[in-house]
Amino acid sequence: MFRAFCLILTGIATMAQGAPPLHREIDRIINAQAGGPSATISSDAEFFRRVQLDIAGTIPDTGQVRAFLNDKSAQKRAQLIDSLLASESFAVHWTDRLSTMLLERQALGKVTDGQWRAYLKRSMQGTPRWDVMTRQMLAATGKDESRAAMKFLGNGSHHRLTEDVARLFLGMNLKCAKCHDHPSVKEWKQAHYWGLYAYLKQTKQATNSKDKQVYFVESLATGKIKFQSVFEDNEEQTGPRLPGRPEVTIPTFEKGKEFDKPAEDGLPAVPRFRPRELLARDLPVKENTHFVHNAVNRIWFLMMGRGLVHPLDEMHGGNPPSHPELRAVLAREFVAHQFDLKWLLREIALSKSYQRSSLLPEGVKTVAASSYRTAHPKAMSPEQLLKAILKATGNLEKVTAMKTAPDAEKFNRRGYFSGTHGEMPKSFEEIRAIFLETFAQPAGEAEDDFLPGLNRSLFLMNDRLVMHWLEPHDGNLVQGLGKIQDPGKIAEEMYLSVLARFPEEEELQTLKDYLEKNATRRDAALGELAWALLTSTEFRLNH
Amino acid sequence: MKTTPHGHACGSLEHDISRRQVLGTLGGAAGFGSLLQPGIAEEITKQKKQVCLIWLDGGISQYESWHPLPKSKFAGPFRSIKTSIPGVHFSELVPHTARIAHKISVIRTMATKDPNHSTGVPRIQRGDPVDRGVEYPHLGSAVAKLLGPANPELPPYIWIKPGNGGFIAREAGFLGAQYGTLALGDGKPPIHIHRPGSISAEVDAARNALRRKANERFSAYRNASEIDAYETSYDMAQQLMARKDIFDDSELDEKDRERYGSHPLGRHILQARRLLEAGVRFVKVNSYHWDTHGDNFNMSQRLIPQVDRPFAALVNDLEDRGMLDHTLLIVMSEFGRTPVINSRLGRDHWPDCWSVVLAGCGIKRGAIIGETTADGAFVNGEGYDIGHLFHTIYTLLGINPRKTHYRYKGQKLDIAHGDCEPIREVML
Repeated sequence: MFRAFCLILTGIATMAQGAPPLHREIDRIINAQAGGPSATISSDAEFFRRVQLDIAGTIPDTGQVRAFLNDKSAQKRAQLIDSLLASESFAVHWTDRLSTMLLERQALGKVTDGQWRAYLKRSMQGTPRWDVMTRQMLAATGKDESRAAMKFLGNGSHHRLTEDVARLFLGMNLKCAKCHDHPSVKEWKQAHYWGLYAYLKQTKQATNSKDKQVYFVESLATGKIKFQSVFEDNEEQTGPRLPGRPEVTIPTFEKGKEFDKPAEDGLPAVPRFRPRELLARDLPVKENTHFVHNAVNRIWFLMMGRGLVHPLDEMHGGNPPSHPELRAVLAREFVAHQFDLKWLLREIALSKSYQRSSLLPEGVKTVAASSYRTAHPKAMSPEQLLKAILKATGNLEKVTAMKTAPDAEKFNRRGYFSGTHGEMPKSFEEIRAIFLETFAQPAGEAEDDFLPGLNRSLFLMNDRLVMHWLEPHDGNLVQGLGKIQDPGKIAEEMYLSVLARFPEEEELQTLKDYLEKNATRRDAALGELAWALLTSTEFRLNH
Repeated sequence: MKTTPHGHACGSLEHDISRRQVLGTLGGAAGFGSLLQPGIAEEITKQKKQVCLIWLDGGISQYESWHPLPKSKFAGPFRSIKTSIPGVHFSELVPHTARIAHKISVIRTMATKDPNHSTGVPRIQRGDPVDRGVEYPHLGSAVAKLLGPANPELPPYIWIKPGNGGFIAREAGFLGAQYGTLALGDGKPPIHIHRPGSISAEVDAARNALRRKANERFSAYRNASEIDAYETSYDMAQQLMARKDIFDDSELDEKDRERYGSHPLGRHILQARRLLEAGVRFVKVNSYHWDTHGDNFNMSQRLIPQVDRPFAALVNDLEDRGMLDHTLLIVMSEFGRTPVINSRLGRDHWPDCWSVVLAGCGIKRGAIIGETTADGAFVNGEGYDIGHLFHTIYTLLGINPRKTHYRYKGQKLDIAHGDCEPIREVML
């Protein structure tokens, strides 16, 4: 069976070798369906900032921008993409992205954030195969290497897991189907919900009597799951079943032969029938189109700002992909390349569709996001925004190095926000928590949309930390600018640092005027000019 | 938002997308217009309806307040006094409210289901709807969603509470963070509403002008109103900063303070009046520590006057200002307290029969509703569950709970418990 599987994969890979590279296919399909003029290819500066944010998670520094703009090589974009994908920042940033997508900032289970993040980071540093990672998360028992991936299982709540597996791995928001067939999505049945649930029902946490650690085990299956619609009287039942796949028969064993292994090593006996293990085996496979389509749609969304199917967890016949052929090609090639996330990211980044400008084509007033005729601006994640602000203002190194003394009193974050406590955060972790509280969605909500938010703008306008970062000290941006006399040079440094591009004539003039008007309070005026760029839409968006 | 029936799948999707894109409470009113059909928007603007919920967390004793039964075996030490309604008595701990009893109504037969604080508080404030597997919004967030801001410059839902404040999302449930509440901790706005001392008004205007200029340039040749949403959120922020006086209880008038009382609850109810005057749609005022398991009578003697005087003042002030007819006042807890006095001279949790005070906005004047057993322990006949009260509240606010639904992930959800009805006998 395993051999046959390999043969099939090799076959597809060979076929794929003859086909044009995926990034060309992306452009061919998007262009064919454009139905109107597309934006030009982005300027080098626009591309550089975007690809840095998308792959490495933050904005470039001034030296990097200058070097890239001066690079005359025709291959420089492709070379940059490869070097970014190989960087440490890539692994860190995509750890953030995947962790936010998979956990939605919920504090789950006994696995520490550190262990979990190390697992994701390790995966991203190697060849991150989405099928393998999915399998690791679903099959985790807590033993040995599977300990960190167990984070996804959280506390083992069967309903949370059923919903999250459906949503995050299959693109199906089955929440409504818990109590009845989905009211508006005809093809989503209550049986889908309970079929998935049946895979997870036996899963539970067990504390090992020897090492006192929590593990995930499966108990003996007692039969099918019975369920009933709140609207109807007849009861139905199902065994474990993936949407679109046959139901798994629950085997019956002779009394006394139900177990593979007796209780040992401090953990209970292991049943012969372990449905969660079957889920981990059978869900992340190429035959499962829900799984493959969901994966490519989510990666496409993270890079392009809009899913081919959007919203991401509404993948069904009533909400078809904007580009069906493209989804099919992405899916086919993703499978042919062993579900390699890094490969897929690279191909998307190489496409002209990704590299388009966000400026509208001439004479065009508006373009539908789903046409991808212009680059769709993306909101920065809280982590991206914090790093970008620190980098733009030249405070990154100092602030990320900030640590609290072990005996220090716990920082009163609530007091900081309500103004009842005047003390400032003393560590990067505390500052990060302040940003998450302000810019992250509440735990349990997907961070896949665009929410400026009044509190967020108030924060950027008036927060003491932000103001402090714009005052001159420790060799930061404003201090550096204060030492320059020539307004042209000041503008250049400021725009490169904050917006990763050179200023335009009109912008230079604005800056000159402002500095002249505020000649007696030059440092403060420099801070205000930088603040205006920092709070501008151009900065806050990844465009 | 009032939803229209959708016959096909994409209806729910559209709704979901707009829900997420709209700025809602915390983003101000910017996206509000786009949510409503013009006709409905107009209708809602015409409705000036506002709400003030005074929440006595832990459970006020009905025996020591709105339903004294001095001759019953469960009576405490306090006398009952006459009210301005002939034949109706309140406890002597609420003399001010007794004098304005003819302006308010009391439902003495609330009968709810949850005797626990931790589950009861959210359950009551969400109206205890049928479990549809979603987390329902608390009343304030629900009204913010259903009616939007009354004054587009101010957030529709403000919560005055002891302790910490800030932008609190959790009350919004499935409506999403943007329908959360701006909480004034100890009557103070969150710190970020204040311009730092280092920045003068003049500098602030100048730096914002620089930002606007940058944004105009950036958005000129770009797609999507989404980009404008950032600029709008700054406009909203500045509007809020300009009105920060109304969020700060230290700015309150001295004479008013005397009338409302100097304790936090009095101050906060006075502050609520000012927020209502400024046009905030929904104000919740919280007071904690009403859970009188021990020493109920001394605690009641200390606590109950703290709600009595400012509540009566609020009713009078709103009436004087011509606001009572469109402002709904609610005084309640998550349940009442036991008839039986326990061994620590306390009263425990009692959801079986308790009292709610209502006034204004279509509530009858001087109606004392509900018959109880002589000892006040149980309802005679049918009591009113919280779902009935929610139907009443929505109906009084001009929202038809039978015709208005939330849509969430393709589900059509009742805004209040489907089996309940408005409490007609308390309505004009």
